[in-house]
Amino acid sequence: MNAPEIAKKLEDIPPGSAITIDMKIDSYFDFIRATLDLFATRKDLDCIYVTSTIPSDSILNALSVLEVDIDRVYFVDCISHSMMGKTSQSDHVIFVESATMLENIMLKVQYLMKKSKREGKVVIIDSVNTLAIHNNTKILSEFFHILLNNLRSKDAYIFILNMEGQGSEELDNMMNLVADDKLRIPTGDEEGDTNEEVTE
Amino acid sequence: MDAVRERCVTGIENLDNILNGGIPRGNTVLVTGSCGTGKTTLSMEFLVHGALAGEPSLFLSVTEASDKLLKNVIPYDFFDDSLIKKGKLIFIDLPVIYELFGMSKGELDFEDIDLLVKAIEDIVRSLGIKRLVIDSITSVCYQLRTEEKIRQFILKVGKSLSDYGCTSILVSEISPSSERYSLYGVEEAIADGIILMGNLQRRGDLLRTLQVVKMRGTNHSRAKYVLDLTPSGVLLVPLLKGGSV
Repeated sequence: MNAPEIAKKLEDIPPGSAITIDMKIDSYFDFIRATLDLFATRKDLDCIYVTSTIPSDSILNALSVLEVDIDRVYFVDCISHSMMGKTSQSDHVIFVESATMLENIMLKVQYLMKKSKREGKVVIIDSVNTLAIHNNTKILSEFFHILLNNLRSKDAYIFILNMEGQGSEELDNMMNLVADDKLRIPTGDEEGDTNEEVTE
Repeated sequence: MDAVRERCVTGIENLDNILNGGIPRGNTVLVTGSCGTGKTTLSMEFLVHGALAGEPSLFLSVTEASDKLLKNVIPYDFFDDSLIKKGKLIFIDLPVIYELFGMSKGELDFEDIDLLVKAIEDIVRSLGIKRLVIDSITSVCYQLRTEEKIRQFILKVGKSLSDYGCTSILVSEISPSSERYSLYGVEEAIADGIILMGNLQRRGDLLRTLQVVKMRGTNHSRAKYVLDLTPSGVLLVPLLKGGSV
């Protein structure tokens, strides 16, 4: 499924929904491109991108190669500090020292929500799998429960990335509990026999 | 019961929710914690929101000169320089008052306490102050030395401020390992409210925390929250338990 097809699928999602996006790594940039194109460019929303997977610098570089407009994208970067690398200062990036500081992730999201002057927001959490490397399922479910309820009450669109083959049954059960729906993005190879699935 | 007491809305949204609408007006609240926990920043935001709402607000600085303090304050998105020019937000260095009344000799006696309380009362009355912060009460207590004098000072100043409908914050410094909420133990017993700020170490991470231990005149949460000091002001979220603390 390519970016325009994914964007078409996302169009039906109502605000205030928390959706788990099940996908393979091949679909990663197609999904990001589709989400930013639909919500940031076409719907004119601010996007809050929480990354614990890839440093914000790398995502920004990739998006610029893909010629995606990043003016409305704000990052909560929970990985760069842990890598002890040099971090560049930008109004669009806030750093959290470690992916174990879940409260600070909530606080930075809250700050960006408050700072944004635009009505609606889209929040991408990338990803449940890398957050699970640093946190046990108990604290992670508590984190998602509080954060998602808070964002739902503000009518944000929420997407939680879940990489296929990198999770566990326990993690899947947790996501079933905290999210509203699940959207599977099939890769190009799969599209002959199966299309996207939306399950409750 | 909550409806009976008028509230002094702190303007710190999450804190007002924790306090069920704000600090009951006229209360004297001890904001206590070790260094770097955000006591001064929280107190300053309380005053700025008050000034923005049209309530004359006074910061009595004891430990740090006001001009130096202002330079280190977070550049709030909502801060307006004209608040100071219009006299809605006032900074006074307490050592100036000490000097004015000849109290620079070190230990203050009972007569000095009466003079100091009177001086604060005069400022509050003449300027119509509705919010006051003393940063820090611990430094004032150093000059009072005895529990009896500390008790007398806090009781008198608290009553006087309350009579004028002024809600006050007394900033208290404690060591990180302290099991009390104030250096002398007297301050916490007399205050109407105690807001405890701390640093929580969890698996190598250091989190700033806030807990309302006591607040007369309102129902409130007694849970621990994690806070962040941002240009949008103090933000709070619940401390996650998750079986990992």
